[in-house]
Amino acid sequence: MIYLYWYLGIGAIVLAVVYGAHYLTKDKESDSLRDLLEAVNPDRKKLSYRILNNIVAPVLAAVLVVAVWPVAIYMKIKEMLQKKESYVSTEEREFAVEREHLLERLTVQEIERREVVTDPLNAAPDLPFGHLHAAWREFLQGKADGAELWSFSAHWQTTWGRKELRCGYAVVQDGAPGNHFLTVWKDLPEEQEADANTKQVHVD
Amino acid sequence: MTAQIAERLKYQGEEVAMCTNPLNDYFAMGGFNPKFESNCTALWRGYVGSWEIVEDRLYLVGLSGTIEGGADATLATIFPDFPDRVFAHWYSGTIRIPQGKQLEYVHMGYGSTFERDLFLDIERGVVVAIRVRHNGKAESDNSPEGYGVSAMTVFPRTGKGEGESA
Repeated sequence: MIYLYWYLGIGAIVLAVVYGAHYLTKDKESDSLRDLLEAVNPDRKKLSYRILNNIVAPVLAAVLVVAVWPVAIYMKIKEMLQKKESYVSTEEREFAVEREHLLERLTVQEIERREVVTDPLNAAPDLPFGHLHAAWREFLQGKADGAELWSFSAHWQTTWGRKELRCGYAVVQDGAPGNHFLTVWKDLPEEQEADANTKQVHVD
Repeated sequence: MTAQIAERLKYQGEEVAMCTNPLNDYFAMGGFNPKFESNCTALWRGYVGSWEIVEDRLYLVGLSGTIEGGADATLATIFPDFPDRVFAHWYSGTIRIPQGKQLEYVHMGYGSTFERDLFLDIERGVVVAIRVRHNGKAESDNSPEGYGVSAMTVFPRTGKGEGESA
């Protein structure tokens, strides 16, 4: 019998610790959040819901903690370990132009000539890279004197396995590619997703 | 995560839901990004763009959103010199337009599936191919037709007293 008392006594201590930790760390439910939750679930306003939520559930939880406190400790440790693991986020690989992606060395004038955007509805500035002209000028400002400009095309796989095609222009300094400016950035499908009713239209 | 409100596309005279965000690419490629504010779990990007295909070209013709600080955003917020129509020459990729009845509702991103997907392949703002993928037939005649979001939470904005849930 003495073992039972010890067991329940430890359970009571665990309950006090768990309750204290919960009380100290829980976020207070704001009025706006309460309004939102009540709008989503109108039952929250009912007396029966409040009795269940505020009295029955906590009492049952307390009885359970005292009765099977080793499980509560196990669950708490597991939760803490899982939280720790979730903080270790996988960082997205950062795209960078490599030498094998380089296609052709070009001057600023050559690039700007080939990248002028025209639109029959005049919905884009008649400038190199159209709506991205300011971004292009900013890119050029970061180019060191003597650095070269090259066009590039790269197949790239993200950390999550998505395949992409990225094309554009890169600054090359002493043979090493550096900053780049994108003109095409698109996902590449694993396979042609559909072929029925396929219509090919003319590209300008 | 919550299913996301789709962009709108006027295509062949019809207004349809477009489950692709070409404006994201504009921001990622260095275009001016006014920093949108999200006040709804179904619209994390903070805006809804209205698009149009004219003569096989993709145009952004409207925008509705909120920028940080609470001001309303329009097309002119991003493209001040082109407040009515913007040629999306920066966009290369595939636009997805779900069609028919819903096969499965997925409460995340644009994950829900429909009887058909119409794909418009775009190269630098120009439609180069159109494809249709058949995904199956809805088991019930009562299955919802067209793209929609079933639930979301709208966060109240401080000082304006706005906020609702659906």
